[in-house]
Amino acid sequence: MLSRYLMHGMIVLLATLALVSGCSRKIVRPNQVPQGPVAPFGAGQISEQELQGVQAELRIVYFDYDKYSLSPEAQTALQYNAELLKRVPNVNVVSEGHCDERGTSEYNLALGERRARSVVDYLVGLGIVPNRMTTVSYGSECPVDPAHNEAAWAKNRRVFLRVSR
Amino acid sequence: MNNDNILSDLVPIRSIHYKPRLWLLHFPFLTRTLFGFLLFLVLGTFPCEGKLVIDVENPNLAKMPISIQDFVADAASPLNGSDLAAILKNDLYLTGLFQIVEVHAPVTPNSTSEPDFEVWSRQGIQALILGNFHVRGDELVLEARLYDVPLRKLELGKRFTGQIGDHRRMIHRFGDLVMERLTSVPGGFSTRIAFVGDSQSREVYSMDFDGYGLKQMTRNGTINLSPEWSPDGRSIIFTSYMNKKPDLWLMDLTTQRLFPLSTRTGINASGRYSPDGSLIGLSMSFEGIPKIYMISTQGQIIKRLTAGRGNDISPTWSPDGSTIAYVSDQAGSPQIYTVPVSGGQPRRLTFQSNYNTDPDWSPLGDLLAFSARIDGRFQVCTIRTDGTDFRVLTDKGSNQDPAWSPDGRMMAFSSNRDGKTLIYIMDAKGQIQVPVSSLTGKGPAWSRTSQ
Repeated sequence: MLSRYLMHGMIVLLATLALVSGCSRKIVRPNQVPQGPVAPFGAGQISEQELQGVQAELRIVYFDYDKYSLSPEAQTALQYNAELLKRVPNVNVVSEGHCDERGTSEYNLALGERRARSVVDYLVGLGIVPNRMTTVSYGSECPVDPAHNEAAWAKNRRVFLRVSR
Repeated sequence: MNNDNILSDLVPIRSIHYKPRLWLLHFPFLTRTLFGFLLFLVLGTFPCEGKLVIDVENPNLAKMPISIQDFVADAASPLNGSDLAAILKNDLYLTGLFQIVEVHAPVTPNSTSEPDFEVWSRQGIQALILGNFHVRGDELVLEARLYDVPLRKLELGKRFTGQIGDHRRMIHRFGDLVMERLTSVPGGFSTRIAFVGDSQSREVYSMDFDGYGLKQMTRNGTINLSPEWSPDGRSIIFTSYMNKKPDLWLMDLTTQRLFPLSTRTGINASGRYSPDGSLIGLSMSFEGIPKIYMISTQGQIIKRLTAGRGNDISPTWSPDGSTIAYVSDQAGSPQIYTVPVSGGQPRRLTFQSNYNTDPDWSPLGDLLAFSARIDGRFQVCTIRTDGTDFRVLTDKGSNQDPAWSPDGRMMAFSSNRDGKTLIYIMDAKGQIQVPVSSLTGKGPAWSRTSQ
């Protein structure tokens, strides 16, 4: 039993060394809002380039302070995202929930999870297959804007949909 | 981390022989009775202060005037006697129970002569600490004594032997014993505080309670949160994204090995050991909504404690292990609730602010510390476990994540009052608040055991 844990621990440790932190800081560009639908994709495997195309098109969903309910704007963004995801049925999605820095790490971890789940539940309602989607909460650990003001906080209260093949 | 081996070197080996009243020392009760009787003879009345005692329950408690003289070396030494005394002065000062009186003795005390109590008495000193030490090679032998000045009596005398590098530990250990003698609860000066770096690095660090001896505990390059010491001090548990999601991990501090404790879907967060170390309370969301569960120390689910629509997080155990306090936003905003571990209805405890988080149950059982949002910023507060006696202990900047010391006399917390977020400590009433971490950090956890 112990040695199995040990093995797991070792594998995880090695895997972690090869990977960077899961923060979406580098990829998220909140100001980039795509206007129209993108070119259609095939039903089969898509290329890395196509995947990046989908990633860039997906809209970020924003939340009110201490809330995980979806505003009308958030719902519109998710309807757009759902249409996009329906065209690439083989693409998996991680719903990454984030909070602003106010509040405590632990409570924000729960809040981020609820935000991520709100998004998944809404996408399921729009016809996205549940087993394509998982949630990860980053709480307040990965702000896109590290400033301590309302503008930064508004950008940081978000769900980012990360796609993978 | 091989504390046990070093510890044995530090255990006070025996009470220091104190010639004039050697036979009395072996009969503390007799000593006390005899001195009381002598005082009675002198004053013609019963002494009101029969013993050097700090009644910490007394709300009008006056600080005890104490003098700590520079420790005296028997020969030239790499250690400085005033530095040694300063460690102890800082320890006792931070409890908020002492007034450290800087008096310079007219006579240099040494290990064999009795202090001139008259001199100290005239200065209003109630407690006096004298110490001496000698260094031979790498070995350090240190003796320290606590005197009851009004009763002209040696209250505590200990000798420590160890390495030179152990000098801080020896002094802290003596401080623990002084606290035990004066308050009947051992001090927490030999403990450590774990915390999470609050910068690019989110690794777990630990330090002595006074900020010395900083060590990096994790090196995984990812986000780590909410460290917690096992009650026996042999491991820490923490939430880490080593698998790209928030899982609960255990690190064996002897071997530095990592074990996954809970890797269920969703969050596996805010793990807290039960006081006896047999269970872990935590928040998990694998059933949908973050709820409070108890798992075994092997990770198996024992039971779920909470239900309903709220996000439930940050459990903390009552010292008798019967009750868990936690945060839930089931009423619309995060508030602190309690629930019996045996099962039953949760009871809401906090109503004073619309945002109360991060409860930590005092090891003395009477108080819960937590962070409350007041005027847009967070402050560390305490409340009695029956919901009365709400007190705000901080007021500058934002102050969060309170964590009690094992003796319940102090708290660690994070504060950004001076710009950077650092770990601070304060006494239980918030009278003394000082930063102790040299790194930016958050989420402090105070070890339950002495090193």
